[in-house]
Amino acid sequence: MAVQAFRHHYGLDKPLPVQYGTYLWRLVHGDLGESQQTHSPVSRDLGEFIPATAELAILSILVAVFVGMTLGVIAAVKRNKLTDHLLRIVSLGGVSMPTFWIALVSLYVFFFRLNWLPGTGRLDAVVTPPPHHTGLYTLDAAISGQWATAWNALQHLVLPALVLAAYNVGLLTRYTRSAVLEVISNDYVRAARAKGMPEPVVIVRHVLRAALPSVVTVIGLAFANVMTGAVLVENIFSWPGIGQYAYHSATTLDLPAIMGVSLFVAVVYIVINFLVDVLYGVIDPRIRIS
Amino acid sequence: MSVPAVPIKVRSWQRRGPLASAAWRHPLAIAGLVIAGAWIFIAIFAPLLAPHNPLAQSATTFVPPSWGHFFGTDELGRDVFSRVLYGARLSIPLALLLVTLALLIGGTVGAIAGYFGGIVDGFVMRSADLVFAFPAIILAMVVTAALGPTVRNAVLALVIVSWPSYARVVRGLVLSVGEAEYVQSARLLGKSARRTLIRDILPNVFGPVLVLATLDLGNAVLLLSGLSFLGLGAQPPQPEWGAGVAEGTQYFQYWWIGTFPGLAIFTVVLAFNFLGDSLRDALDPQSSWSQGGDAE
Repeated sequence: MAVQAFRHHYGLDKPLPVQYGTYLWRLVHGDLGESQQTHSPVSRDLGEFIPATAELAILSILVAVFVGMTLGVIAAVKRNKLTDHLLRIVSLGGVSMPTFWIALVSLYVFFFRLNWLPGTGRLDAVVTPPPHHTGLYTLDAAISGQWATAWNALQHLVLPALVLAAYNVGLLTRYTRSAVLEVISNDYVRAARAKGMPEPVVIVRHVLRAALPSVVTVIGLAFANVMTGAVLVENIFSWPGIGQYAYHSATTLDLPAIMGVSLFVAVVYIVINFLVDVLYGVIDPRIRIS
Repeated sequence: MSVPAVPIKVRSWQRRGPLASAAWRHPLAIAGLVIAGAWIFIAIFAPLLAPHNPLAQSATTFVPPSWGHFFGTDELGRDVFSRVLYGARLSIPLALLLVTLALLIGGTVGAIAGYFGGIVDGFVMRSADLVFAFPAIILAMVVTAALGPTVRNAVLALVIVSWPSYARVVRGLVLSVGEAEYVQSARLLGKSARRTLIRDILPNVFGPVLVLATLDLGNAVLLLSGLSFLGLGAQPPQPEWGAGVAEGTQYFQYWWIGTFPGLAIFTVVLAFNFLGDSLRDALDPQSSWSQGGDAE
């Protein structure tokens, strides 16, 4: 019988603990099983799709951190003024926008109407992908000196990365603002101002530095948001990344692939939180000592 | 002893009565109330307000927004405006249902875990961690795909994904309130666990959980419409906002098909977030925007 042969092939006729043991054994050997959808090993699939999402996520988080922190500092400095109130609305607006909707609207405006930026995919159809080094097209092309390809890849990257950043900008504005407000009334800030230090230097060197640890904490959360957003945004931008892979494997109940994606996300989440802990020590030497 | 009369400067807006002054001091709360109220009104009276039947097809397809069709018509000649109005009847009650269920389940479980501690606590919090370990949208996608893509299953999937955050918050609050002397004395007096939880602990938990629930309403609308956008929630003929945006991605050049349903999601979520944020100001000064404390 075909069903029995199938069950035997995948070890489904064995007791659950044995199945789980086999799964773990294969896992530590780097074998995540075979995707029932692409019929290739899940680890190879992940290797193919992860770089596309990584490129998107890194740029998106960098943009969100820069813009969010800037807005947060401005809101804190202009506390209870009109600017602050407007930034509160901007921050709440950022976390209220449906990602898939801004993706659609921005594609319509910047690609279809204005034609400032390319539409879907990682490269124009006529451009050949750069030789594989890291899987990040912009970086690979730059390494190989193919500047035209790098520029094309970057143009393709801008719109989805900005769309993904919107939610995190709202989040980071809020966190930065409250972190800055907590330190801005400290005596050492007043001392820095009293000795005639220019305000921008006071903010960057004294206030922002002290506020940084609480902002860095949110980066892990920001990453989780980017993963959620990637599932929706990659769908619209035809971005061949882990979000699309997760979507296709979830809707077809491709269990080895689902497990693979979840494991990958969990590992990245742990690594990011570990890096955040290390960063604490770098930013705030007191933590390193204790 | 009498208090000496201090001349109080009355501002012009204060003379206009309590309502005007509240509006002046909490513009976000009022804006949130007005927008959310308008959408609830629309949800209730959609059949009276909608100029067309949201499911009625016609030969006039892809009509741009005009006086006959405020938001234009879609690929089947259906009136987008009427579909957006009817969409409120799905998204808003479902979001309320979702948050209520998650709050009841998570709150009860968290309260029990926090109150009794020990093995119960360990079991409950480890199951919560298990759910947290998965990316919410992937877990929700798997659950809906396994159970079949219907609105009911999408809500169910999102309840499974969202109860742990309530369990965590309530457990933490119960733990800290449980240490208070008046709770300890109630227990020493031999009051039952249920009575202590409901009479002495619940009122202290209420405020922070209300803030969480209001902010979560917005998230619920976003996640539900996100699942429908992916084709895992409401199915085609139903006028659902997320599904409407998905339709818009297929007929890209007709911008009105996707833009207006998305705008509906945005305004509803924004209203709930305005309300939640204002509630946080009022009930939880520690983390409010106006006090600028620790945002957690």
